[in-house]
Amino acid sequence: MSLFFFNNGLKIEFVYILLAIHLTLHAKKGKVYILWLIDLSMRTAKLMKVAQELEGIYTVDTLCKRLDIGRTRAIYLIHRLRKVGMIKTTYVAGNKRLYFISISNKLKGISFTDKINEATTNQGIHLSGANIHFIHGREPSYEEALVYALKQDSVRYIIASLGLFRKIKDWSSLYSLARKEENSFVRKIAALYDVSRLFVKKVRKMPKRFVNLAMKEKDNGWVYVIDKLYSRDFENIEKRWKVHIPLNWGDLEEYKR
Amino acid sequence: MIDIREQEEMLIALGNMLEKKISCYAIGGTAMMLKGIKDSTLDLDFVFDKGEDREEFIAALRKLGAKESDVVIVYGIKENTPIMLELGKARFDLFTNKIITSVFSQNMKERAKEIHEFGKNLIIMVADVHDLIIMKGVTSRQKDIDDIITVFKKSRIGWNIILKEAEEQVKLGNEKAILSIGEKFEILRNQKIIDVPLSFLDDLFNLLRKQVKGKSKEKKKRS
Repeated sequence: MSLFFFNNGLKIEFVYILLAIHLTLHAKKGKVYILWLIDLSMRTAKLMKVAQELEGIYTVDTLCKRLDIGRTRAIYLIHRLRKVGMIKTTYVAGNKRLYFISISNKLKGISFTDKINEATTNQGIHLSGANIHFIHGREPSYEEALVYALKQDSVRYIIASLGLFRKIKDWSSLYSLARKEENSFVRKIAALYDVSRLFVKKVRKMPKRFVNLAMKEKDNGWVYVIDKLYSRDFENIEKRWKVHIPLNWGDLEEYKR
Repeated sequence: MIDIREQEEMLIALGNMLEKKISCYAIGGTAMMLKGIKDSTLDLDFVFDKGEDREEFIAALRKLGAKESDVVIVYGIKENTPIMLELGKARFDLFTNKIITSVFSQNMKERAKEIHEFGKNLIIMVADVHDLIIMKGVTSRQKDIDDIITVFKKSRIGWNIILKEAEEQVKLGNEKAILSIGEKFEILRNQKIIDVPLSFLDDLFNLLRKQVKGKSKEKKKRS
């Protein structure tokens, strides 16, 4: 014997009928357990609340502590949250997993910070912290990410951006993106490219055309990548491009590891 | 009601439909969803700097099949109401700088640092949490109070920012701003829902006193 509970909304009735057909096909002895659907929807709603309450970064152990539950249950919760798209996993030193729980993970957009981090596997160089520029509906290019990184006026971003040179293929698009920025932007890119050649493996050669176009900008005089910061260790590169580089050898040691 | 994913898909479709790059500010539930504070919303609220941009946006929405909706039913007869369009389950409320009683001030625009690009041509800057609180603080709907509580639970609040912006709102013509915000925070403090510093409420009250004095001087001058 089958039993139906109808809610007021038409939509829910429709879902119940569909489910009943599905269950009748599989049910043994003609019994239909429609409570399953209610249970399922409750779970999704609960997971949403759990994600909202838990928002933050956890390891399995810290999640166990936070909720005062065992390891198995914590792993199961992570699995359920991942299924509904509310967890992003990152790896830190020692191949430990970090779980970032947030309902905003449901968005499929990619942030420029993620794109910059994608270019290097070295965890010590990865940028962390709040992402503030997201792209939805398309994959941002490495060229765009490089221009974005340089515009941040931050030493951390400049260090992380050096890894991007390994991924740059479309130099003409990089040039046109750089031209949209301030006058000496192309030159800054060229100078940082020279630095990256010293530290980052497998960096492709910069096309001569890009070099020539960057050299043309030299007439505009000296410029800073980050205001008032200059280098003691890369003076040759600085003189070549008339660009003050805000980095020293020590800042880039992580690339050598 | 639409959820985060539906909103994202809708905005991507819109971004691809737009013929030129358009930027606008997300406020209300949309901003809260983009910041991961809320998981669904009734309406998508946007503020445009330029009227032409809003027209472009409306044209793209219409191409996607959006239909105009009655503003009076939702907002009543008020000034600075938005242009409203409905697309599927979502309702778009499109403002230009003035949002009913609030004004989307220059400081609010500068604080909107989080950027989301959708599709080819839609750039959305998300209003800062402080400004979400202020805009929700000057209305009288229960759901806005609930939203204020949610925002507080999720973010760090600089009370000075709220204070300065409340003062700015009064300067820009929203005369009830300080009073409404003060009233809401006092209730939330008394009910022990939010830990509002007493000094903040005192400062707000001083601002209100200053505003009243200024008003009475103005009246005297006129008479």
